[in-house]
Amino acid sequence: MVDAIRFTFDILSFISVMVLVVLGLGIIASMMGIFNFAHGEFVLLGAFTMFMVADAGHNAWWGIALAPIVVGGLGLVVERTFIRRFYAAPAGAILGTYAIGLVIRETLRTFLGGQYKSVAEPWPDFVTIKAISFSAWRGFIIAVTIAVIGSCWIFLSKTSTGLKIRGSLENPMLARACGISTARMYALTFAFGSALAGLAGALIVPLYQLSADMGLRFLVQGFLSVMLGGAGTFEGPVLGSIAVGALVAGLPWLTPPVLADPLALLIALLIVKARQHGLLSKGRK
Amino acid sequence: MAKGYGRPPTEGIDRRRVLSGAAALAAAGWSAGAGSWLLRPARTLAAAPIRIGIATDITGAFAPWGNANWQVAQFVVEDINRAGGIAGRPIELHLADTATDPRIAVGNVRRLIQEYRVDVVLGGISSAMRQAIKDPIVNRGRTLYIYPEQYEGQECTKHLFCTGPTPAQQCAELIPYLIKAQGRKRFALPSANYVWPQQLNRYVRKVIEANGAEIVFEEYYPLDQSEYSATIAKVRDGNVDCIFNTVIPPGVQPFMRQLYETGFQRSGGIVILIYYDEMSLTYHPIRELDGLYSCLDYFQAVDDPFSKGLQERYSQRFPDTKYPFTAGTGATGMYRGIKLYEASVKATNGDLAREAVSAAFDRAKLANGPGGSAEMVPGHMHCAMNMYIARCKAENNTARYEIVGAYDRVDPREC
Repeated sequence: MVDAIRFTFDILSFISVMVLVVLGLGIIASMMGIFNFAHGEFVLLGAFTMFMVADAGHNAWWGIALAPIVVGGLGLVVERTFIRRFYAAPAGAILGTYAIGLVIRETLRTFLGGQYKSVAEPWPDFVTIKAISFSAWRGFIIAVTIAVIGSCWIFLSKTSTGLKIRGSLENPMLARACGISTARMYALTFAFGSALAGLAGALIVPLYQLSADMGLRFLVQGFLSVMLGGAGTFEGPVLGSIAVGALVAGLPWLTPPVLADPLALLIALLIVKARQHGLLSKGRK
Repeated sequence: MAKGYGRPPTEGIDRRRVLSGAAALAAAGWSAGAGSWLLRPARTLAAAPIRIGIATDITGAFAPWGNANWQVAQFVVEDINRAGGIAGRPIELHLADTATDPRIAVGNVRRLIQEYRVDVVLGGISSAMRQAIKDPIVNRGRTLYIYPEQYEGQECTKHLFCTGPTPAQQCAELIPYLIKAQGRKRFALPSANYVWPQQLNRYVRKVIEANGAEIVFEEYYPLDQSEYSATIAKVRDGNVDCIFNTVIPPGVQPFMRQLYETGFQRSGGIVILIYYDEMSLTYHPIRELDGLYSCLDYFQAVDDPFSKGLQERYSQRFPDTKYPFTAGTGATGMYRGIKLYEASVKATNGDLAREAVSAAFDRAKLANGPGGSAEMVPGHMHCAMNMYIARCKAENNTARYEIVGAYDRVDPREC
């Protein structure tokens, strides 16, 4: 029983990290049709913001509040100057965002001197329930993830801005004819997705510590999640990242750890092969 | 998909954009081009210079280690030049960035040898790098090679000298200490999946079993694994009381984090990371490091006037540096390598021919260095040196090492 609770908490906490990281990527991929290869570096920038704030001696909560604003702002600039040129050719955007990611990553690497830096969380405590102690921070991440998924879903499916965003994706011509500025909607969506990446970075950096390659390690798993869940809906990538997170965290319990990663990839690819448009294929094509 | 937005769909990527993308790649150091960097002696001495090549990871994942090596190399060479060079000849230092990528490294190292005609090459951090560059240096390049980093042993190539600690030096005292003095009985060996942990663990297993303790599990992970709950459960279920950890960054941070969260250290468990030095203390929040053991040829806590003086002059030369003078980076091995080379060339009276220098290096001695004296073990290509067991102490928001065991002139037991 105790082991089962621990196991559930461990898996749940990794799934939350996965969902947090993938959410912004998924929203941009689903709502704009752009695969943002700089997403990992946006997460890194969020983590870096948190590091800078903590390093300057301020309360780490400021870092968490600031990270989405900084990265969201950068997302806006990147969309206005760069991404918008690629809507006609999304394949070009893959290369372009990859280059942006590279510039961010290597600039930060130079800044950090290639070093690894530790970032402590604002809540270092443990919560003990019936002799099992849980990390308060992991519990917080799980709670935030649920809250973020909930509010994103309400934002995209219940508000009029959400409707305009979805409309701009589904039929840009008609949306423009209705007086919706699609350009503005795309910019907003990209900034929103970027802000989510920034938030994810700030929240997870105490678990993984800061290094320039921090974003890279989630990139492949992130794209796999989007593929697995199916781009085109909000729910797809979320479901995909839950599945990938559970596979990555769960498989080492059953197989030698070196096999777990390739096996998770294999299983996910087999599912993608069987369901070409992902788990949720009711997508808006 | 967002078709029909903005520009007509016929306009995709044009050539200019591709080119500017490539320029961005080059600027970011991805496509590392230039390989060499030269440090000339400040005072021009009359005689022709001795050319020393440093081939190390200035960029890439091992950049912190490589930069520490490079800074220490400059530090020592400036010292030697200030004192008049070796046998009256100044040293000219050439740098080749091996960029943590053996494919890039081979080309840059070849330039060191063919274009700059260096007399000796020092460097390499990972064993994969040493394996990649030793052939271009020793065989095709017919040049002496000195490898400064602590490693898994079994490198017995002619004209390739190792000045960092071997598994015997790092473990032959440490493991009996943990078993006898600390009463450890059940070990776990979580490891990154590459050559250094695999070879090292073979030796460690022998020593643990010979001393009557047990290995609960030995396990290998991808280098960037980020989730270790299955491993932590094995530690708990197996009643492990000592973790000999050879996971490396970036995997080691989440590992230590999850281990700390389960309260392993708080309930008396011991973690060993034998490559951890003062530089690694910033890699984790301090509380995760309390009680950690390491075993290296030098720690800043070693109470030796010469070492303290070195450390002081190093921080004057590189104030506020990100790359401290420590042992885990291979920087102390770099210091020994250059000084032993100096001693060898003095012994040959300035003759730089490889056979002659090699023969002298085989018997070279260093009276003073970081951590004390050191000397090559004749015929064994490795270096006997003092070794220290250190325990990390975290208090008042800082972490430091305390020496808990010091061993004089420990034999490398290689070749």
